[in-house]
Amino acid sequence: MTLLGPRTNGGPAGRGAPSREAAGPALPALPGSPPAGPAAWLRDLVMGLRFAASGGREGWIRTALTAVGVGLGVAVLFLGASVPSLLDSWHGREKARESLGQEHPPRPADNTLLYARADTRFHHQDIRGRLVRPDGAHPPKPPGVAELPRPGTMLVSPALKALLDSSDGRALRERLPYRVVGTIGDDGLQGPAELTYLAGSSALTERLGGSRIDHFGMEFVQRPMRAPAVVLVIMTCVALLTPVVVFIGTSVRFGNERREQRLAALRLVGADVRTTRRIAAGEALLGSLAGLVLGAGFFLGGRQLASVVTLWDINVFPSDIVPDPLLAALVAVLVPAAAVLVTLFAQRGVTVEPLGVIRNRPPVRRRLWWRPLVPLTGAGLLLTVSRDVGRADSPLNTVWLATGATLLLLGVTALLPWLVDAVVRRLRGGPVPWQLATRRLQLNSGAATRAVAGITVAVAGAIAVHMTFTGMQAGFAGAHARSSPVVEMTGRTDGWAQVRHALTLLRGTEGVRTAGGTIDSAVAAADDRGRYMDGSDFRVADSVYATVGDCDRLARIADLGSCRDGDVFFTDNLEDRAFVRPGARLNLDPPEGIGPVRPPQPWTLPATARAVRAKADDDGLPVHSILITPSAVDVGRMHQPLMNLSVRYDPRTPDAVEHIRTTAMRINPTLGVVARAENRHDGQYDSLRAGLFIGAVVTLLLIGAGLVVSTVEQLYEHRRLLSVLDAFGTRRTTLGWSVLWQTAIPVVLGLLLAVGGGLALGILLLSLIDSAVFVDWPVVAGMAGAGAAVILLVTVVSLPPLWRMMRPDGLRTE
Amino acid sequence: MTPAGSLLAAEGLHKAFGRTTALDGVDFSIHPGEVVAVLGPSGSGKSTLLHCLAGIVLPDSGTVRYGDHDVTGMNDAQRSALRRSDFGFVFQFGQLVPELTCLENVALPLRLNGVKRKEAQRHAREWLERLEVEDTAGSRPGEVSGGQGQRVAVARALAARPRVIFADEPTGALDSLNGERVMTLLTDAARDTNAAVVLVTHEARVAAYSDREIVVRDGKVKDMLAGLL
Repeated sequence: MTLLGPRTNGGPAGRGAPSREAAGPALPALPGSPPAGPAAWLRDLVMGLRFAASGGREGWIRTALTAVGVGLGVAVLFLGASVPSLLDSWHGREKARESLGQEHPPRPADNTLLYARADTRFHHQDIRGRLVRPDGAHPPKPPGVAELPRPGTMLVSPALKALLDSSDGRALRERLPYRVVGTIGDDGLQGPAELTYLAGSSALTERLGGSRIDHFGMEFVQRPMRAPAVVLVIMTCVALLTPVVVFIGTSVRFGNERREQRLAALRLVGADVRTTRRIAAGEALLGSLAGLVLGAGFFLGGRQLASVVTLWDINVFPSDIVPDPLLAALVAVLVPAAAVLVTLFAQRGVTVEPLGVIRNRPPVRRRLWWRPLVPLTGAGLLLTVSRDVGRADSPLNTVWLATGATLLLLGVTALLPWLVDAVVRRLRGGPVPWQLATRRLQLNSGAATRAVAGITVAVAGAIAVHMTFTGMQAGFAGAHARSSPVVEMTGRTDGWAQVRHALTLLRGTEGVRTAGGTIDSAVAAADDRGRYMDGSDFRVADSVYATVGDCDRLARIADLGSCRDGDVFFTDNLEDRAFVRPGARLNLDPPEGIGPVRPPQPWTLPATARAVRAKADDDGLPVHSILITPSAVDVGRMHQPLMNLSVRYDPRTPDAVEHIRTTAMRINPTLGVVARAENRHDGQYDSLRAGLFIGAVVTLLLIGAGLVVSTVEQLYEHRRLLSVLDAFGTRRTTLGWSVLWQTAIPVVLGLLLAVGGGLALGILLLSLIDSAVFVDWPVVAGMAGAGAAVILLVTVVSLPPLWRMMRPDGLRTE
Repeated sequence: MTPAGSLLAAEGLHKAFGRTTALDGVDFSIHPGEVVAVLGPSGSGKSTLLHCLAGIVLPDSGTVRYGDHDVTGMNDAQRSALRRSDFGFVFQFGQLVPELTCLENVALPLRLNGVKRKEAQRHAREWLERLEVEDTAGSRPGEVSGGQGQRVAVARALAARPRVIFADEPTGALDSLNGERVMTLLTDAARDTNAAVVLVTHEARVAAYSDREIVVRDGKVKDMLAGLL
């Protein structure tokens, strides 16, 4: 194999050169000719791979550093590529195990059961509960369940079992009065941390909320994300993945200067410039290929942590985290390709001469004019669509918003090299360490700026997304803070007696001040047979609400005047319902829904019924309803009557809401319970913000690791110089401070840019959702602190090799 | 016991790197204003001798005395301080800080000694003029020729007015014309300031600039002048 590049015969370059014949006796021509095109590429890349593989201990260390750097990046990319399959698995298991009401309910049979939701919430944790009551011997079973629990027993998830067994779960054991007889398998869980139970109930009936089903598994359509949410997701991806890509780019440059010295030796034996560049790319290729393998290992090891992470209420099994094959293949192809391209790009500014002379091109002053265009275009796009996004959540708006946010975010990285150049160029004087650092940056700030660009994007993105989440969270918090200490409960009922019993139980519950309730249903004209909605088999009747309650409760809805049990009223805002008039024949079970029409349940609106003025409800809207005192109607004849209970509690009583939830479970496990003042979003946003912060910090550490390697490598390349400086008597602290300043200057500039860009982007995003501007100063401070930690980390880790290289060994020339 | 009137003296120096003996009982002395050439083939131990004399490495045994000070008894910080204040160095390669301008390079030892920047640079400029490279002041080392760079290095070695200059193959990377010019300037400047010069070289042509020559071979020293006498 020859190292010579393609020979040039003839042409302008060959005209002045002496011919082989003129130079002396002709030598026999060597057989064959050097390869060209793809063959030359292949030959040189393979040669580079061999150099990297046979480079001895030093070469292996460089390859290992590159592999670790690329591996960390690849692991993060694999994680990103796993998100689609992760969500598919997550939603898939939910669809497979659920069946809350079939469109055409089956008749009771050997293979049917009654199934009902019995969720609860315990100390800010959602607990998914389901009740079952089989109709026969062969009921369907949900995934993860071998045998359905008998009445009075339950199957629980491992996480719920652990909670029930703990001292914290004592109150929960009281609320769930079922004997634990087994655990639900992984197939029946959304994640290992999910709290869920499946209980057998002999009291469950259709009227009390049960749905008859003959199979598990249902289809439900995921609601598409709204434009601001899409923008946040894209920004999070850009903020977290850009540094990874930057890090991979930095990693494949590890050992670059050393490599160039080796390439000079190749030039001496006849390799041309293109050949040496391809060989260099081949050397980087080995590290990136090893990084791919290592990255797969990091990914497989790291995903085991998935079971302990819950983000936005999503917790998954490690086995759910599988990269999408297409995306994984793209990573596998693009990472090595990027290694080759980055190396070729890095070689542009270097002239490798045969005598080992390597000259960097004279520093090029970076032009400013195009750099602000990128973030300004992004800001412009955001401003243009921000006024419309609330009204028009169109795909086009989403694309514009995402493009605008991404351009604004990436734009700060375009500004950074110019900013570093411009600032560093003006730095003069100062102590020796400062001077050494600034001069080094003046000579070549490219490597540091590239690495810091990753920090800038991560921090700017994290600040912006944090601000947005904080704004949204503050909005929810404000709304909840204004809410009264009221718990509302809704569920099916079979009669007024149950409401009375429920109110008795609630009034006896610790912390409860007042309790009241109504039963709500719908009534229609007796002769209304309903009509089908366009294009569906869903029948609707022209119905009005009927609210059953005692005089006290009804008096809160309307100005009743006098009221006794047995009285009936109707609000005076039902003018458009002509069938609501005293003496009218009504149907308590209007023909609504799918399926055959049920027999009518006639009821006469008493001739004594009076029109009364409706009051505004809690939302400020007047009620439109027929108001019936309990003895005036048989609730059992009404269609799917809903019990609505409302409890006002003393917020100073510890765990008042928990006590009310326990009572609600005793009244009817299928009751839906909502505490108005309880902000469910707090936990979700907290977990998301915490995840984002951790992601940004990990990214910073990743970049910090890259900076450490670059700095140590730079020290290694200058070890002779360091030895000379040591010979002069230079103090170690002098050079230590110079390393610190050399890292600190670009990082501080990058952080300043990131804070500015992040705040601007955050303000724009908050304007998109009409939220007040909340600057999350602790996060800004945290990010700045993390940046400072990176500076210190890089410096501290670089000191031992620095001091090692200040030894006199570097002075030896023989 | 330091030989009478000597500025720097070594006695019974032993130094080994693993199983390789670099110095094997070496004695050495140099007087103020004297230029001593240390000659010898590659690997003979002459650079190791220079490093021991300058306090860059410690010998395994033996003593180095500088005036009244026992260099071998000093700790690292004391030896560093000594090198900053009293010694100057010229090496064959890699001696200039590539990020700094030539003027800043020459001013560097002064600044390390605590001299203010402007004062250090004024002084450095005088030395650049004296060594005929004043036009390189604003250039970085990568932008000047090898001969100019080496003269800048000599200027840097002399800038702090050292009492001993250690020059390790100072012309090794230069052509003969540039090499001779550098040696002339170095030795003239040293004699003017009464500085001693320890000149490590393997070239007799360079050694000719010295007042006295010693030869290191297999870790032992032979004083050529003593031989003649």
